Amino acid sequence: MRRPAATGAPITRRSLLATGIGLAAGAMTGCSTAGPATTALPEQARAGSARAGGELRIARPPASNAETLDPASSLCAYEYLGALYNRLTRIDRDGQVVPDLAAEWDVTEDAMRWTFRIRDDVSFHDGRPCTAHDAVYTIRRLLDPDLASPQQGVLAPLMEPGGVTAADDRTLVIELATPNAELPSLFTGYNCYVVPDGSGDDIGVAGIGTGPFRLDSFTAAGRGRVVANDAYWEGRPTLDSIAFFSIADQQARTNALLADQVDLLSQTNLDFVTARVVNASDNATIARVRNGQWYTIPMLTTVEPFTDPDVRRAVKLAYDPQRVLDVAAQGAGDLGHDNPVPPDNPLWVDHALERDPDQARALLRAAGYDGLTVDMYTSSYDPVFTPMTLAFKDSVADAGITVNVRNASADSYYSQVWMQQPLMATYWYTGRPVDQLLNQIFRGGSSYNETAWADDTFDAILDDARREIDDDKRRTLYQDAQRYIVDHSGSITPMFADRLVGLSRDVVNYYEHGFEFDYLNIGLADHRGERS
Amino acid sequence: MTLFVARRLGAMVLTVVLASLLVFVALQALPGDVATQILGRDATPEAVQVLRDQLGLDQPAWRRYLEWVGGAIQGDFGTSLASGEAVGSELALHLRNTLLIAVLAIAGGLLFSLVLGVVAGLYRDRWPDHLISGASLVGMSVPEFVVATVLVLLFSVTIPVFPAVVLDDADATVGQLLPAIWLPALALSIALAAYVVRMMRASVIDVMASEYVQTARLRGLGTGRVVLRHALPNAVLPTLNVIALNVAWLVGGVVVVETVFNYPGIGTLMIDAVYDRDLPVLQAIAVLSAVVYALCNLAADVAAMGLNPRLRAGGRSTA
Repeated sequence: MRRPAATGAPITRRSLLATGIGLAAGAMTGCSTAGPATTALPEQARAGSARAGGELRIARPPASNAETLDPASSLCAYEYLGALYNRLTRIDRDGQVVPDLAAEWDVTEDAMRWTFRIRDDVSFHDGRPCTAHDAVYTIRRLLDPDLASPQQGVLAPLMEPGGVTAADDRTLVIELATPNAELPSLFTGYNCYVVPDGSGDDIGVAGIGTGPFRLDSFTAAGRGRVVANDAYWEGRPTLDSIAFFSIADQQARTNALLADQVDLLSQTNLDFVTARVVNASDNATIARVRNGQWYTIPMLTTVEPFTDPDVRRAVKLAYDPQRVLDVAAQGAGDLGHDNPVPPDNPLWVDHALERDPDQARALLRAAGYDGLTVDMYTSSYDPVFTPMTLAFKDSVADAGITVNVRNASADSYYSQVWMQQPLMATYWYTGRPVDQLLNQIFRGGSSYNETAWADDTFDAILDDARREIDDDKRRTLYQDAQRYIVDHSGSITPMFADRLVGLSRDVVNYYEHGFEFDYLNIGLADHRGERS
Repeated sequence: MTLFVARRLGAMVLTVVLASLLVFVALQALPGDVATQILGRDATPEAVQVLRDQLGLDQPAWRRYLEWVGGAIQGDFGTSLASGEAVGSELALHLRNTLLIAVLAIAGGLLFSLVLGVVAGLYRDRWPDHLISGASLVGMSVPEFVVATVLVLLFSVTIPVFPAVVLDDADATVGQLLPAIWLPALALSIALAAYVVRMMRASVIDVMASEYVQTARLRGLGTGRVVLRHALPNAVLPTLNVIALNVAWLVGGVVVVETVFNYPGIGTLMIDAVYDRDLPVLQAIAVLSAVVYALCNLAADVAAMGLNPRLRAGGRSTA
């Protein structure tokens, strides 16, 4: 159960017993489990006219008993953030960085000095106007090593707290320590929600932001409620209120949906059997977050045999990504081709290694690893890990590679296996802006670099991209970086799988992509009566 | 008998101390600590250090344990490392919630199983016996989380009578929890009853074949009177320990059942505490479970004495 985000899924709670119960539920409702099933599942959520008002009930896995409404914290209660706060920038449905609280921005030729113009019509829930001073305060907090925000490692190398200033109430100025032409995208992270100047001590319980909803109540790992902000600067949200309920166990969350006790399961990727049970019920259905789950198989480049780039390449040539996608995600998703950037991102480049088990075998022989045998770890942490591991194991056998599957405990998977064992199944939520993704997970020395890969040539490409203010040239550099990752890194990305989200048939205009959730337009269908 | 009880209470103190020590050692053997568990993938060395400083984890674990023991003796169970709440009040709330379903499960389960056990015993090898014995075998074999899931499918999804999960927090009023206690209690009582039915059946068969029951019959007493006044007290005797063990088993059973129903009781508190490596909370639960376990067994022995004069006399003579 309790849930990690700048970094991965904003979830750390385990799903106790989920697999067993899921199967039981499937069997009992007479649901067949054979064959690719996604054709039966809806592609996207119902759109259309919602009635004004109503309360949406969301079931969520609690981050931990220590969770907080402080967006900068690694213990933040993720679902509340988008409802309560705004960021300077956000990512639109086409994957472009667009204004949120910052109406416009500008950068100098050397990509060293950024000026953000803050909107002048925005107020916090307590009535105070939102100004550049609040933005300065927010960013300086993110840089504070004592707060240890997940975004600290992303922003701190770029700027000093003293370089972040307000020229006047409307103008935020950031003098960088090192050039960066992608800075606005880095403020789309979900730790970067703007909080009021000086609010650090109580923001974790007060939750005062500028967002479409204001806080009514909040209990860590318990229930909470937000109500519509009538004065919201983008217009009043469709709903009157949202109730949040903490349910640690995934099967219990699903049962709550089936019994019509909640309307939406957040941060929950349903396994296929459960998804079909949900879809077959009268009151619930399935929506997909396209490419929402970025599945990876990191090869730890500091451990034999993956210290050898030829071995890494051989493993990438040996496995069959189509088979992994078909078996583990029932075809619901896109092939990854070992590129960490999802194919629906505007910066994505089409570059893939053609599967070739014979060449893989030859590479291994030349490297002295003929008949390579490796351990690969999986866990019940996510329902896709084990089928992904088995499909991987089967397909690399064609190149003479033997994989011994090891099942590890879900509750310590990310403290004992991840970044410790040479080969494992894992995932992240997609949604990081490309610059952050490449720097946070692939740059040498980053705390989230899960393959411990350090390559000066690659890091130099990232530096060049950050220095380049011409959009087209910068795009080319980020694409070079993607090619370099495919060809040289220790990271295997077999697929981006759609997240299968369970929701009530009454919910309309549900939209979620990456770390963006449309709280403004989500609503309940016309026909449903008022709930007392 | 007083001495017997006093001696047993002394042994109970030892049991509780051992249980607390074992939980401490077991928790140390688990990988990770509160900071790494709560942070998960965000457990960068810097973040872990900051959180450890906040939570006061810089002291060695054995020292924190001794401090906890010192406080617990004076009735102060410390504060939860994860939530920062006082363990005593948190435990009290969750215990109240668990007692709601446990008492219901025990009362319902026992009443049910004693009646069914007697019926099965009296109708030995005829159809009521086959039916009851078969059903109890199924109840024993099917894990309680499956029973719980079936109950949810039947009574929450198919016929929506009861809520499938509890959406309230631990501090909800009894009135708020009331609609939600029936399915968890039923799931627990099915598992509990299954064992007791079989034990009860076997001892009813034994007792009904005994000479004094034969004698009572020959003297013309009615079947109802024979069963209630003569057979039942003696048949319950061997069943008492099974009942005690099953009540103690509830402590573990509630973990699974409460998880399925998201019920804010001791079980979910324990799961979270194990997951978070929350030592003070887990210690308090261990002590509580050990006390419940020991008291159940003691109660069974005392009740056995009450029902059997020979045991009572034996206890006195050794004193």
